[in-house]
Amino acid sequence: MTGISKALTAFGSLLLAHACYSAHEHSALQTLKAATLSLTSTASQTTATTLPADIAIETVIATLVVLLGLVLSTQPLRPIQWRVWAGKIERQGEEGFVDNNGEVIKEYIGNPFQIFENRPGFVDIRKQRMEFAEWVKSSAGAEQ
Amino acid sequence: MSPSLLLHPPGQLSPAAAYYISRQAPAVLQGSPSTVSSSPLSALFSEKESPELWLKYENMLLSCLRTENDQAAHLFLERLVTRFGDDNERIMAFKGLLKEAVARQNGDQVRILNEYDQILSENDTNIPITKRRISLLRSMGRVSDAASSLVQLLEFSPTDAEAWSELSDIYLSQGLYAQAIYAVEEVLVLAPNAWNIHARLGEMQYMAANATGASSGSYQKYMAEALKRFARSIELCDDYLRGYYGLKLVTNKLLQDSNKSNKQVDDDEFALPDVGTIERLNELSTAKLSEIVRHSTAQDRGWRGYDPVEVAAARELLSSDAAAIER
Repeated sequence: MTGISKALTAFGSLLLAHACYSAHEHSALQTLKAATLSLTSTASQTTATTLPADIAIETVIATLVVLLGLVLSTQPLRPIQWRVWAGKIERQGEEGFVDNNGEVIKEYIGNPFQIFENRPGFVDIRKQRMEFAEWVKSSAGAEQ
Repeated sequence: MSPSLLLHPPGQLSPAAAYYISRQAPAVLQGSPSTVSSSPLSALFSEKESPELWLKYENMLLSCLRTENDQAAHLFLERLVTRFGDDNERIMAFKGLLKEAVARQNGDQVRILNEYDQILSENDTNIPITKRRISLLRSMGRVSDAASSLVQLLEFSPTDAEAWSELSDIYLSQGLYAQAIYAVEEVLVLAPNAWNIHARLGEMQYMAANATGASSGSYQKYMAEALKRFARSIELCDDYLRGYYGLKLVTNKLLQDSNKSNKQVDDDEFALPDVGTIERLNELSTAKLSEIVRHSTAQDRGWRGYDPVEVAAARELLSSDAAAIER
């Protein structure tokens, strides 16, 4: 998805730059033409000319293409309904909260209410250490 | 494993994950700045200070302590102390935690407890230290002291949901279901959208209903409440495995009861829904649980967030259910 959107944005920018350049060249040409005309004939001529249709169309299309590329490159929208969001956390875990590069977004903390069950302020560190020592023993026993 | 693992509170990690984090300690110590200068000139050239850095240090400290990597834990604490100072309440609690972790005999613990009392006599609104003192009391087996200190703490800080939750856990460990349920309800008042706490309350009510000595009136009341709590947790969270598991457990039990006797206690507030509704709820939870178990066993994309232990428990419940139907 990122490849397509980046390519589209680049292509659109190129098109837009081309349209700008064409418009600039066109106006330069018009001024030159008017200058030469005023030199040869004394009749004053209006130099107000409209841009050719192809340049206008190119500009519009280029803008649309850039827009499409930018829109495609946005992050996937997050759920705005509580239950959908909560369900996503439970069902997908951190897999459901990645940006376009496949990395977990920084703000993801899982279920924010988990701390009421873990209670980090009341952690019983000695029990945890004992549990860890037992885990080490049991996993060492499983390996043998 | 992702780097965001370091930003999670480490309580919910498995021993393997804690060990993995603890082994990263040297890399983190080397890769992050030991001090962050507050002068604007040096801030131009060095890495910017972010809250995540200190959160990471705290979590590393806890994981290192848990995995008995005391040396690294001391280094992390040192950095936190140089940043926040010795008299920061949170840092004081971490220092106490470190001392608790290396305490070997009972005498050491009593000495630490006296130190906490000393700190609290100077400033009795130091909540992190109060919490440490309570958990130390609990860890030493003085559960009733812990409970009464906790009640005191809640008296002057009644909006502390974590403390209410700890109180309910203490009461539950003593088999005092009514008090435990009251404390969890207080947590729900403070965090009404916490789907896991709704499920927890449902579990406690189910336990209270099936505890020995529960009268038939309170049995029905607790079962009806448990049903409601599990239903609410599912309402707050789509595909919540724990909620559906509880719902299935409760409805199974209620359907068994309705087969045996049709005695209903007339109580408007805690009336159970009729049997048809309960049957439909049971069917729904069976369908959802089997869907979750199927997807999660197949490791389908978008279904990998469940805890494998919970999925295994759900599978067991479903298979025991199927066996009961065949018989």
